[in-house]
Amino acid sequence: MKTGFRVFLGAFIALGLSWCGFVLGPVLQLGTQGQTNVLNSSEIYPNQRPGNATLGLQVYRAYGCAACHTTQVGQDGVLCDVVLTSAGANPTAVNNLISSLKLTGLSKDEADAVSGRISAAGGKTETHIIPVGADISRHWGLRHSVAEDFLWDNPVQLGTIRVGPDLANEGLRHDESWELAHLYNPRSNVQNSIMPSYKSLFITGNTPSEDAKNLVAYLLSLRADVSLHDAPFTTAAAPAAAPQNAASQK
Amino acid sequence: MSDDLKTSLQTDAGQKGPTAPTWIFVLTLLGLFGAGFYFDRHSGWFDSQVYAPYQSSDELEAYQPKSGAAALFAEGKKQYGMICAACHGDDGLGKPGQAPPLAGSEWVNAASFKRVEEIPQLGLTGSVHVSGQDWNLSMAPMGVALSDSDLAAVLTYIRGSWGNKASPVSDTDIKAMRAAVAGHAPIGGESGLNAIKE
Amino acid sequence: MNVIEKKYSAIDASCRVPLLVLFGVAAIWLIIGLALEIIASLVFHNPDWLANCPFLTYGRVLPAANDAILYGFVMPAALGVMLWIFARLSESELLLPLVPIVAGNIWAVGVLVGVVAILIGDSTGFTWLEFPRGGSVLIFAAFLLIAVSAMATFGARRERELQPSHWFLLASLFWFPWIYSTANLFLVAWPVRGVAQAVIDWWFSNNLLFVWLGLVGLGVAFYLLPKIAGRPLQSRYFALFAFWTFMLFAPWCGIPQGAPVPSWLPSASTVASFLTLIPLIGFAIVFGNTIRGVNVQCKGGPYCYAKFAMVVFFLSALMYIATGCPHCSGVVGMTWYMPAQTYLQIFGFVSIAICGAAYESLPGIMDFELPFRGFVRAQHWLFMFGLLLLVVPLAVCGISEGLKMQNPNIPFSEISHGTLNYLRVSSLGLFLLLLGALLFAINIFAMTAIWQTKLAKAFAATLLPYPETGEVKS
Repeated sequence: MKTGFRVFLGAFIALGLSWCGFVLGPVLQLGTQGQTNVLNSSEIYPNQRPGNATLGLQVYRAYGCAACHTTQVGQDGVLCDVVLTSAGANPTAVNNLISSLKLTGLSKDEADAVSGRISAAGGKTETHIIPVGADISRHWGLRHSVAEDFLWDNPVQLGTIRVGPDLANEGLRHDESWELAHLYNPRSNVQNSIMPSYKSLFITGNTPSEDAKNLVAYLLSLRADVSLHDAPFTTAAAPAAAPQNAASQK
Repeated sequence: MSDDLKTSLQTDAGQKGPTAPTWIFVLTLLGLFGAGFYFDRHSGWFDSQVYAPYQSSDELEAYQPKSGAAALFAEGKKQYGMICAACHGDDGLGKPGQAPPLAGSEWVNAASFKRVEEIPQLGLTGSVHVSGQDWNLSMAPMGVALSDSDLAAVLTYIRGSWGNKASPVSDTDIKAMRAAVAGHAPIGGESGLNAIKE
Repeated sequence: MNVIEKKYSAIDASCRVPLLVLFGVAAIWLIIGLALEIIASLVFHNPDWLANCPFLTYGRVLPAANDAILYGFVMPAALGVMLWIFARLSESELLLPLVPIVAGNIWAVGVLVGVVAILIGDSTGFTWLEFPRGGSVLIFAAFLLIAVSAMATFGARRERELQPSHWFLLASLFWFPWIYSTANLFLVAWPVRGVAQAVIDWWFSNNLLFVWLGLVGLGVAFYLLPKIAGRPLQSRYFALFAFWTFMLFAPWCGIPQGAPVPSWLPSASTVASFLTLIPLIGFAIVFGNTIRGVNVQCKGGPYCYAKFAMVVFFLSALMYIATGCPHCSGVVGMTWYMPAQTYLQIFGFVSIAICGAAYESLPGIMDFELPFRGFVRAQHWLFMFGLLLLVVPLAVCGISEGLKMQNPNIPFSEISHGTLNYLRVSSLGLFLLLLGALLFAINIFAMTAIWQTKLAKAFAATLLPYPETGEVKS
């Protein structure tokens, strides 16, 4: 090449293409997104976080909590369970059939086949959609995180590494007193915790400052437990959230 | 010429050096092909709703939980697409000379489904006013081969889509209707429809 | 001294003050950055040390440390080396030398403002973009100023044909302003809505850490290797092919698998990561052929640095590309494997390449030998062992952590506790790197001091009414 211009042109095209793909595209597709409906309901999702939780997000950012915590749940797959809702006119035949069939952990095609057989025998079934994955088994979430979960956040604090547990559904797991105690001295309610204490968030003793209260409000507002079109699951059959304030953090 | 340039340049005495061998271009093309294949299967083709682990919007739709009315609705949509949409349109707007609109139709939206449920079962010929327009066509009994629950699903779907907000239809209603009108002739136009007791 | 040597002596001399400023700024920030990294890593030895001081809490010190090293050390030093390479390849003195001197000072202030802002809680919250408006504007302005001087020097070249180093370094001069301004505009100035912010942050981080550092490191290495080995790059066309394909594919990597974004984004990154193997193969072949059979004794000098940097480049790139595969990413995605790869790229590849170039250039620029020649080899060994102790435990920790995370029966607190020993060993690695950085800084500042003393003596000599001895004033 004899001119720097060709290098610049090539760089312009190369960077421009990736700019279109990873900046312009997502801004147009995700940056214009609005609220959505909860599946099979007229409820809107997500609601804006309450005021002190929005302030709490700024505390989260200022203290760099995202350096250790993520707020995104992954999902490795999805399975179906077939559940009998009515035995129909011929209960004995249906029950005999059911005892010979596998009803849980099926793929969609298998579930359709099974429910077809049960319908033919006169019974009525419902297919439950169950998300599966390492994070979900660990009770860190009921389904994978989606763009709607972060709609109102500025800045979005997804986090990149799990030095501490994922917080996407922290609001389902603990209450205010647990969170405040954890910030004051993490080892007081989680044995072997490696999290540093944040006594600077407290005034004289363990009275929480405004920042601490707002941060806790933000943490308690973190929940992604509704079924959406892009993250479907059958609500009634979802794995139960971890028991409140479990003695050892799972 | 300076040391720096002499060692950098390869233009001395035509020493341009070997060109990039063909195999790397072949490798690149194969790589691009494989990449396209992978992207086709896993990307959901830029659909904003498809997230990992789902790999296509069809797969996502299949895994939408359906129960009760929602299941009926989804099944009805599928059946409608297969049987009715050809004439009445996917948008329910119909086509002049082909089929009247279902969206906003006073017959579809009537509080009682007793009149509209007989149309796919018996067929309809003769003139009918639909949303202020006159239609004089002939519809075959397109729903006669459907099962009770499938026909109920289609009617539920029609009565609840495109702005229509009428009540669903159940398979027991269809069963009762089929028993009552067994052997009847196609409905004769608007007067025939009005003759059906609501 | 013959004519050519005199010309090169003049070229090198013209780079003197700009490079002393840029290397000086870089050396100070490398030390501060590594010190901050060590402070951050103390939390894994005892979480309650320094825990109640909000300015030194892990979540602030770590981003401050990372940014201090990348923006405070890597970038100014890289730009300094770039100016020198452009001057030498152009066979012209550095044009507008005052501009980089001013820019270097602006740069130092910008990094200071940014680091302090992070420590007091004003971080923007975006990885690798934590400097809020003040710091980022100063750095951006300083970069553009240095680019002006670089382009002017490039434009003055007599041999119009571009050299391989030109391709990489010119591309890098273009790359950074675009990605930095886009990221700051779309994330800090007028933030976009929702998770699109995260996508732009990932795009920026990939283009900065993988593409930009890659372009700079390769540009510097592909200048040093042929120069010291005494033979041209083998082959130029291969390098050109690898250059274009690297620029085409690499910018599309970086979206983590399993991220809460529509799957076309991580799929695009998977595809791009796989395709980036092609330029990597190209660079490996060019590197291998260029150094094969070369009989140069490097003795821990710049040639060793350049070779070390290239080998680490391949390792780090392979580590990065592996995360494009959903199966691998599912295991190591959010573990210590990721920072391990980043440290390998920054400390092992780019820093080593830049330090090698600095050691190669400084004797000529200053017109006297390095005051502590043995430090060059010492720093080489310190960095090598430091990297080994830093990166290997973190990478192994990440893989082990990731595998354990797949088993929901292992409580998380047990997994996180199990990472501590690895993290403690990695602190030792940081310490060795800091020692190496000190050796680098000592040479730079010693040279600056010697030069200033010489200047002072020469100046004093002009004030004396009579020459002190019979020497001819030079």
